[in-house]
Amino acid sequence: MAAAGIQLHPACRVRQEGFGLLFYDSRGPRLLFAETGSILPPDFFATVRRKDELPDGLPEKGRGVLQKFITQLLEKGFLREQPLC
Amino acid sequence: MSNRFVEKGLRSPVNLTWEVTFACNLRCRHCLSASAEPAPDELTTAEALDLVEQLHADGVFQVNFGGGEPFIRPDFEEILDACHARGIMTCISTNGTLLDTARVERLARTRLVAIQVSLDGARKETCDAIRGDGVFDKAVKAIKLLAASSIPTSINTVLTTQNADEIPAMYELAQDLGVSLRVSRFRPSGRGADNWEELRPNPAQLLAFSDWLANSGDVRTGDSFFSLTNQERQGLGLNLCGAAKLTCCVGPTGNMHPCAFLQSERFKAGSLRDSTFQEIWDDSEIYASFRSLRIHSCEDCQRFDQCHGGCPAVAYHLKNDIEGGDPECLERCVTSIADEKKTAVA
Repeated sequence: MAAAGIQLHPACRVRQEGFGLLFYDSRGPRLLFAETGSILPPDFFATVRRKDELPDGLPEKGRGVLQKFITQLLEKGFLREQPLC
Repeated sequence: MSNRFVEKGLRSPVNLTWEVTFACNLRCRHCLSASAEPAPDELTTAEALDLVEQLHADGVFQVNFGGGEPFIRPDFEEILDACHARGIMTCISTNGTLLDTARVERLARTRLVAIQVSLDGARKETCDAIRGDGVFDKAVKAIKLLAASSIPTSINTVLTTQNADEIPAMYELAQDLGVSLRVSRFRPSGRGADNWEELRPNPAQLLAFSDWLANSGDVRTGDSFFSLTNQERQGLGLNLCGAAKLTCCVGPTGNMHPCAFLQSERFKAGSLRDSTFQEIWDDSEIYASFRSLRIHSCEDCQRFDQCHGGCPAVAYHLKNDIEGGDPECLERCVTSIADEKKTAVA
């Protein structure tokens, strides 16, 4: 069985804003304003990622915060688990 | 509560209302745009498809189509397909009379469309008095077709004095049909302005509806930017007018306005025949004025955090004062009823 990865939920969209990322969930609809600046590209979750995968070049201090944020995105339904190919 | 990210301005709207035509096969008495015949110079198919391309490039998440009756446009499904091919989600507000099995099957294939069918009473007599003879039966037939498909479907009801007592029954009807209920506010624009005094809910009805809504968690309301339940609005901190901040309106001829209820020349933000969508969103003085709009006269009200002064469109249509606060807000309903009682006692 393939390991679980994560990907943007098909009912959700995300785009870059000045403050960071704006997530949209059409099922609510709901919005999520994430002050991520430019550290997380909006297309990062367009493909399936490992749960612990982060963009390259992040400082160690920011990795934990970003990892926690990604967990929250999963819990809130903006991301969903998908098998890793 | 406001939202500081929204206050600073987004690079483009989250969603927008696109009234693709003024043509309509019905003559509903509350129609916000007085739809009947198509506008003389509505966007061509090529112009409409170019707009879709712009919306995609600008990052707009969702387009809410209305009119007029959108399905009257022969190229409407082509416009929808263009949206869906670019991942833009769509919601269609329709009277349901032009939906058939084949069309519903085509629409259901995309998985990116939701549909609202207008129905203005739980009883045929109530609905048809507003929307026209035979419309209730046609709309219910369309809702049944949609409910049997995978398309997320809702009944959209405009609250009027005639149907205010039937809203709980509307909710039951929606449940029986397997769809959700969305209740929109009646605003005095278009034919709604002509029939305002006859159709407007009275203060007691508005208060009763508000109480009922507070206990009906899954009923959505037609807010200025999109449909949210009361709880969702509070949780997001987006309980403010979203015009020119989260949403905007594109009219049939490509004119852009803050919202569908302010489609007059006075509130024209620009024309897509003269400027790009992004240029108008970024540079329009009208949009700038809405982004900085503060209803100072309401700031001392105990409900200010709930409504931020209410709907500027209603304030404009009833008082010709966009900054004057919503004349039909719940607080004013309470005051109005209290004043009536005092007068009666005196």
